[in-house]
Amino acid sequence: MRKLLAITCALALSCGASAAAENKDTTTFHAYVDSDVCARLMLGPITEARIECSKKMYKSGSNLVIVRLNDNTVFEVNKTKLVKPYLGGFGKATGVAKASAGTMKLESFMSELVTDIPADAPAQRLLDVRTYKAKTTDGLFEKIRHELAMIPYITTFDFISFTMIGNDVILTGWTVRDTNRGDAYHRVKSIPGVGNIVNNIEILPLGDADMAIRASARAALAQQLGQYFWSNGSDIKIVVKNGNIILLGSVQTKEDSDLATIKCNSVPMSFAVMNLLRIEPPAPKNKG
Amino acid sequence: MHIIGLDGRRKQIVNAHRGVSNIRIGCFVALLVSAMVIGCSKPEQTAEGGMPPVKKIAAGSQYSGFLKDYKNLKPNADVDSDMLTYVSEDAKKNLRSYFAIVVDPIEVYVSTDADEKKVNPESRKALTDYFQHALTMAVSDAFPMVAKPGPLTLRLRVALVGIDVGGQSADAPLNIGKLGVEMELLDSETGDVIAAAVDKANLGAGAEVAAGSVSRDEKMAAARDAFDEWASRLRAFLDSAHELKGPDIEKADKAYKPY
Repeated sequence: MRKLLAITCALALSCGASAAAENKDTTTFHAYVDSDVCARLMLGPITEARIECSKKMYKSGSNLVIVRLNDNTVFEVNKTKLVKPYLGGFGKATGVAKASAGTMKLESFMSELVTDIPADAPAQRLLDVRTYKAKTTDGLFEKIRHELAMIPYITTFDFISFTMIGNDVILTGWTVRDTNRGDAYHRVKSIPGVGNIVNNIEILPLGDADMAIRASARAALAQQLGQYFWSNGSDIKIVVKNGNIILLGSVQTKEDSDLATIKCNSVPMSFAVMNLLRIEPPAPKNKG
Repeated sequence: MHIIGLDGRRKQIVNAHRGVSNIRIGCFVALLVSAMVIGCSKPEQTAEGGMPPVKKIAAGSQYSGFLKDYKNLKPNADVDSDMLTYVSEDAKKNLRSYFAIVVDPIEVYVSTDADEKKVNPESRKALTDYFQHALTMAVSDAFPMVAKPGPLTLRLRVALVGIDVGGQSADAPLNIGKLGVEMELLDSETGDVIAAAVDKANLGAGAEVAAGSVSRDEKMAAARDAFDEWASRLRAFLDSAHELKGPDIEKADKAYKPY
């Protein structure tokens, strides 16, 4: 019984300590209410197209998230009901944010207009289209792209993307392995000239249903669209999260893209297919 | 962009995927119950329950017989050790086709001249528990551990081969000076061998494992170092098997375009 008492006391103390720590870390920041897919793939400024994407993808089954405007960090929130009315809009989010895990315990969300955000606030920088047009002249984008392409543990079920704001880099996407999140960060960090890095890469859950969906989707696509799969990788990426399938990467024709949607839509236990495949016809061969 | 709408199964699936709060409550209750059980019960008298039986290496044989197949094992120039390895090159079933791992209980083989009945169950449990922990620490960020076999999941089988029993008494330590490790990764659903490795390096020279003996701490530390090293060698082997090579480098580079 002494052991039981000791364990109970330890639990109570640790709960109290963590609660105290959480109160201490409560923050407030300007945020945009987005859908998970758009937040991780449309990293540019908040344009009409972005707002439309947010609403469309949410209807398609993508989760609600908030994007911290200061640095574009994406947070999954515990109280989605608080932010749902403001999808595609802005607000001040208050709560305990854990940037490393990409999660936030939301306490309140106060709606606001873009014009309410002070002109000199860091949040304004990410709302400015011109920020995203800043080009690097030293081939930094290509160096980062190549490094990320060479990550050894990337599979058909992972997709990592990035964008640059000046020399700062925002990493984003989804992976089934912890190691890819860290590896991507360290590879980019090691490139000379890279500034700050925000790591929005999400570690996907490995629930039984999602695992079965991944296997079935890959089998179905490899059977019909085998030209896009090779032994150690694929042109088509299959991201599965909470029963949703997101198709990324590229195919050569619209017919192939449509076929991918049809095949994934017949995968047991999945309930939404978001086809974001790019259509890239093969380059014409030079004659002579 | 094509979007296919939801069907009526959404709520059911969402509930299945998102029962986080229920899981938290369940975990808390399980923790309390475990605490009560630990607090109110006596220490476990035997560690034999649930563990596979101790086996013995057949006289004169090079290997224990634990692996399904030894004939494909070859020295691996990509691994910085004398490890013998095998990796399936089947286009549909190779290491890159999987990303989760379920780990079987670690098996133990005593050396030919040792008596498997004299292996102290508690020492054996200490030994296999630590190695299981070391393996988890070494590979779980690249191969997340799952609880049961399933799609895209490998089954890791590991045997500690060549354990010697240090004496006649019941609490005699286990000597791991001549220990080697044999392991294989199988398709967890079909049992097909995807990769295998045999590491006979005597990393455990001077190390002993015994349960609950403070005087042997130094030797136990040497054993922990040996197990950590074997685990890191497994990780190095997996890393080397995943490294992009030859035409795959160009394919991966060409295929990757950020959004």
